[in-house]
Amino acid sequence: MANKPQIRTNSSALIAMIADEDTITGFLLAGVGNVDLRRKTNYLIVDSKTTVKQIEDAFKDFTAREDIAIVLISQYVANMIRFLVDSYNKPIPAILEIPSKDHPYDPAHDSVLSRVKYLFSSESVASDRR
Amino acid sequence: MQISENSTELTDKFMEVDHHVLNFLDSMDTYLILMDSLSSTLRQGWLELASARHSMGAARVSSTLFNLKSHHASTTLEIDDVDTNVEPPLFTLCKWVASDDSEMNNGDANRKDDELSPAKPETPRARDEEPQARRAESGASPVSPDGHVQQARSRLLSMFGTLVSPKLRATQTSFEKAMEMLVEISNVRASLLHAHNQVQKDVKAAK
Repeated sequence: MANKPQIRTNSSALIAMIADEDTITGFLLAGVGNVDLRRKTNYLIVDSKTTVKQIEDAFKDFTAREDIAIVLISQYVANMIRFLVDSYNKPIPAILEIPSKDHPYDPAHDSVLSRVKYLFSSESVASDRR
Repeated sequence: MQISENSTELTDKFMEVDHHVLNFLDSMDTYLILMDSLSSTLRQGWLELASARHSMGAARVSSTLFNLKSHHASTTLEIDDVDTNVEPPLFTLCKWVASDDSEMNNGDANRKDDELSPAKPETPRARDEEPQARRAESGASPVSPDGHVQQARSRLLSMFGTLVSPKLRATQTSFEKAMEMLVEISNVRASLLHAHNQVQKDVKAAK
């Protein structure tokens, strides 16, 4: 039997966020924020001073954590680390690209839809973006 | 006789393939519809947040006021343990769970289950469970579940001060709704990818 992706059954899994300040503020008001004993949060606020390296590190950290089930990432932020997002293919945590205030949702850039587009087109998505 | 059996098998096979393709197309349609709804809900939330910031002042609604002390999330997720080769994982949202309790059945857990139905667009099946009242540690009268939810909401709003604008409360409601939609989208996403894998297998088998 082929190796199957491991599914973690968590009694309470978290939702991580990589987004702009307003989106993070809203979801923290909805009760999603978590800070552990080492003062590590389950979110990263992206602003003009945030570097691509910081975003990459946060994405890698959140997708490697056992206690996170969904990672919300603003689509314009995901575009900065597109290669990393598109190459991620585990079922958990699920990566959801969401719109932001200044950047509406674009289905053409969604990694999930890009993956399934192959069924409708023989061209690779990567070549479309170049 | 054998030809008839073979043709029956072929028909069943084609029906199964059609079923997979329909599942896939339905999932994709539902995903796009939900993303559009999410965009509307988030826009509403951002607008309310901007109004709150306008009435309370930018300094009072800022990320510098976020609570960085150790605390658990009030809204969490449960994932069903499934074999991803057979069926997609199922996410369930647990809102306003008492963070001090180790057991999940204490506190108010509003759950939304979302199972993909290939025949029609997906609507969430909300399951409101009657929560148990929490036992107070000091022996005072138990806190009612609704009271606990209000307390949890007020606690989060108090990040931005004791008296907050009604617009900030509206923001909280909008983002709670967005959270429910996101869990639904996660389940549809999982179903979409699962259906996609099935269709890919069918295409390879046909070649």
